[in-house]
Amino acid sequence: MLGYALRRLLYVIPISLGVTILVFALVHLAPGDPLNAVVAPDAPASVVAKLKADYGFDKPLPLQYAQWLGRAVRGDLGLSVVNSRPVLDQLIIAVPNTLMLAVVATLIGFTLGAILGGLAGYFQGTWIDKFATGFGVAGVSVPHYWLGMVLVIIFGVELNWLPATGMGPGGSGSWEWNWVHIRHLILPAVTLSVIPCGIITRTVRAIVAEILSQEFVQALRAKGLLNGRTMLHVIKNVAPTVLAVMGLQLGYLLGGSILVETVFNWPGTGFLLNDAIFRRDIPMLQGTILVLAMFFVALNLIVDILQTLIDPRMRRT
Amino acid sequence: MRFRKYSIAALSAAVMATGIAFTLGGAPAQAQGNLRIGMTANDVPLTWGQPDNGFEGYRFMGLLVYDALINWDLTSADKPSGLIPGLAESWEVDQADKTKWVFKLRRGVKFHDGSDFNADAVVFNMDRLLDEKAPQYSARMASLVNFRIPAYKSVRKIDDYTVEFTTQTPDAFWPYQICYILMASPKQWEATGKDWAKFALTPSGTGPWKLTALKAREFAELVPNKDYWDKALAPKLDKLTLIPMPDASARTAALLAGQVDWIEAPAPDAMKRIQSAGFSIASNVYPHIWSWHLNRVEGSPWNDIRVRKAANLAIDRKGVLELLGGYAVEATGHVVKGDPWYGKPSFEIKTDVEAAKKLLAEAGFGPDKPVKVKMLISASGSGQMLPLQMNEYMQQSLKAVNIDVDFEVVEWQALLDLWRAGGKSPQVKGAHGVNISYTTQDPYSAFTRLMRSDLAAPVGVNFGYYNDPEMDKLLNDAQNTFEPKARDEVLAKIHTKMVDDALFLWVVHDVGPRAISPKVKDFVQVRNWFQSLSGVTMAK
Amino acid sequence: MNLNTPAAATIDVAQVVLQSRGYWTTVWQRLSRDKVTVAFAVLLALIVLSAIFAPWITPHDPYKGNILRRLKEIGYPGHLLGTDETGRDMLTRLIYGGRLSLFMGVMPVVNALAIGGLLGIIAGFVGGRINMLIMRTMDIFYAFPSVLLAIAISGALGAGIGNAILSLTIVFIPPIARVAESVTTQVRSLDYVEAARASGVSSARIIRVHVLSNVLGTVFIYATGLVSVSIILASGLSFLGLGTRPPEAEWGLMLNTLRQAIYVNPYVAALPGVMIFMTSLSFNLLSDGLRSAMDVRL
Repeated sequence: MLGYALRRLLYVIPISLGVTILVFALVHLAPGDPLNAVVAPDAPASVVAKLKADYGFDKPLPLQYAQWLGRAVRGDLGLSVVNSRPVLDQLIIAVPNTLMLAVVATLIGFTLGAILGGLAGYFQGTWIDKFATGFGVAGVSVPHYWLGMVLVIIFGVELNWLPATGMGPGGSGSWEWNWVHIRHLILPAVTLSVIPCGIITRTVRAIVAEILSQEFVQALRAKGLLNGRTMLHVIKNVAPTVLAVMGLQLGYLLGGSILVETVFNWPGTGFLLNDAIFRRDIPMLQGTILVLAMFFVALNLIVDILQTLIDPRMRRT
Repeated sequence: MRFRKYSIAALSAAVMATGIAFTLGGAPAQAQGNLRIGMTANDVPLTWGQPDNGFEGYRFMGLLVYDALINWDLTSADKPSGLIPGLAESWEVDQADKTKWVFKLRRGVKFHDGSDFNADAVVFNMDRLLDEKAPQYSARMASLVNFRIPAYKSVRKIDDYTVEFTTQTPDAFWPYQICYILMASPKQWEATGKDWAKFALTPSGTGPWKLTALKAREFAELVPNKDYWDKALAPKLDKLTLIPMPDASARTAALLAGQVDWIEAPAPDAMKRIQSAGFSIASNVYPHIWSWHLNRVEGSPWNDIRVRKAANLAIDRKGVLELLGGYAVEATGHVVKGDPWYGKPSFEIKTDVEAAKKLLAEAGFGPDKPVKVKMLISASGSGQMLPLQMNEYMQQSLKAVNIDVDFEVVEWQALLDLWRAGGKSPQVKGAHGVNISYTTQDPYSAFTRLMRSDLAAPVGVNFGYYNDPEMDKLLNDAQNTFEPKARDEVLAKIHTKMVDDALFLWVVHDVGPRAISPKVKDFVQVRNWFQSLSGVTMAK
Repeated sequence: MNLNTPAAATIDVAQVVLQSRGYWTTVWQRLSRDKVTVAFAVLLALIVLSAIFAPWITPHDPYKGNILRRLKEIGYPGHLLGTDETGRDMLTRLIYGGRLSLFMGVMPVVNALAIGGLLGIIAGFVGGRINMLIMRTMDIFYAFPSVLLAIAISGALGAGIGNAILSLTIVFIPPIARVAESVTTQVRSLDYVEAARASGVSSARIIRVHVLSNVLGTVFIYATGLVSVSIILASGLSFLGLGTRPPEAEWGLMLNTLRQAIYVNPYVAALPGVMIFMTSLSFNLLSDGLRSAMDVRL
């Protein structure tokens, strides 16, 4: 057991190295001059050349990679080309914001999905089931950036109940769990939650239905003995899978919130990424993608190890 | 779908990690008289002296926290703003050697950190941009502003309150160039470890506002500089909050939801809605022109003055105005009528489809043989207003007089690259012009760089390789006329020739609409890219 | 927006194995009895066909509008679904938009099906070091959430239809390869395939006869489900400005440009999203229907 955990942990090293190579290669695939978007249109060439040297963009790519990796390992992701502020400082502000959004969205998705899926599985074939199944498939099919837009139109513009953008009066550093701030979280979190909600609804429904079709449960049901103990049995069987799905969903939402953050001006990593892409801010782009990918790698690692803890047969190589 | 079995622990670890983040910081109290502005920039403009984000960066950071030696007069809404003494009390060119300018500096001015502004500070700030060996040299800052001071050669301290600038060649436009160089505190730079990135967090200038809080991409907070040297321009508000909101619909939503009191450039389509919600729209014409810069390389149909005039007469500018919700001014030239540089052109730019058809017929074009042109346009971009809609509308107008327009839509950044590359470059693929809006705030930007033959791309941004010795002579005259009145007269001659020769296809001037809450009082929108917030107050 | 397939998902190939004509008849019968699937299959067919025959059935030119009749409401005379920000007919643009949106949604999955399927079958069939090499490389791509990877690649390459398709292809290769590998490994270890190997039948033949017939069905069903994700993602890229460029008609891009008009005509502005939703929903339901008709579990 310990041996597996250790091996799994060690496996993170080559994966992480691969991730860094991929991130670096991706960002440098880009055609065009890395400074084009940030210097003024008629900036003198000598100044641009000097600037390039300052950022090390004049060196061969392998050397640039080695230097970047060397610094990244020590927690230095360089300076943004656009605003000259350390990339890490900006990520430290943005990551918790995205995390908050993703966690809240996952929780909403989980609660709603578990209830709907459970009901659907229990009352198979009834209108509740049809509704929940329909809701589930709609949740995984809806373009959430569009849903965000629709919610803004309804609740922000037409009804003017909820703010359409941002994170509250003081920006990201001043978040508090009070109504003034939570109002800002509702629309983006609900928008983002439709995907996990759809997936969890579908998953829970399938498992609950399967368990209820097992013979001894059927027997109990036939006797009208579907009591607390049977329910507990169902929950015990559903929980691990659903939680695994939630864990993975959290990871996807962390990396996938860019569209929603863009719609709602939510100051998270997606917002940073969007900005970095359009201003070709290479250090920022590299740093953000790397940190998000590493989060995902870590989340996967935790999922894997915990899952082996619970059920040693479920090992992944 | 079947998934791996898994436990709640991983999730709770993730939740805990978020929990830590939740405890960061506390909300700032809402002060009375706090004006919150939604800017179009996608980040707070750089705070270390020379801002990024173009003129918006100057408007909402540069000129708030800093002063230049020469400032813009931002008090009159009725006439184009001129230059006034800033940190220099006076300046004059050396009559014997017109490459030398002596600037007398204002005494008793202090930076926000309490240190004195003097000749050493001026030298320090120039070297920051132009002396690569100076410890304070910043290539990034240089990249933002050096192109605005092409005349600069060197600076010399004469005494503590006198400096002498030397220009490359005699250049009467020098005062218009030095007004972009903002003075940052050398003392504060030393105090922040000689690191401009750190300086940017606690910047120190001499301007009417002091930066007190800064959160990248989210907001900047400024408070009045109580010791501002010009008492008449000391701000009246308690606080100013600047919030970057690049998306126009998000900006509008934030205004309607009461998240900000003022937004820059509301989407024209949202104007009615904003006004019906009780907000007012401030606007005023300013030195901006939305035009087609025509390519004049061999074979271009624009080489025929009749075609150029016909195009100018064909555009239905009223329709364009309607598209913009009425927030624009029909162009009758490169600058606005009534501008001291307007002159007396004889070619009257208006909509006259019959005259346009007649001109084209004379040039040998007609329904059977339309003029065919291809234009480079962008789908977005700063100052471009509504480029797609406006260009498509123009396409319809021109079609009516048998000018067939084909568009190549490129990204804004790519469009700027093509513009720099010039009309002869293979990259532009034979396009007959480029749609980039221009500033006409200073004579170099308005005229010289676009028309002088030795500034043809890629040396300069004379995109179309326009070359007229007569125009070159006028442009050089203007640059060598040091007496402002006489210089304005030369510039008026330039503009007259420009219009009479129909060198561009002029469409509209922007009026810089901004939507403002009724709580905001006493804002006077001046005819400039920059605006003063000093007189603004907020109703309780 | 997820591809959480199945690292260790058990894929029951037993049902797919030994597919006879009778099996397909059963599948077809089951499918045609599934009203929801049939209904959405018809809807999808309508969307696809109208996109294909767009030039013949649309009332207006998708690129030419009358700027004076811009942002008209749904039901405006002559424009059933109103007009967009430059006065172009929305109905026409929505129908034409299907061409690019469907193309950009389907192409990446088709490409990934070819490449990822091949890689997965090779990895599964050959095993050993080759399997290691292929599947570990896939693991690196798996370290990125799919949306992030798509946006990162598109952002790096720049806007454009080709780049968007390329980036999504890269995103979909690893999950398809994993499914293919997993199924192939299982098929390879089935008794009769083992027997064929032992009796000296060539690898190529084994792959053709046994592996392909068994693997393709499973992978294909999985891929159908991916199309729905792909359509949402492709339009999402355009929505961010990383896919098609104006003045192309594409649903994501239309949504993006119409976003500025939500204060004038919110219903028209929301229409392209409805199309994305409907298409993605159809693919998802079709995939579900197919899956249960073929009784394949992923």
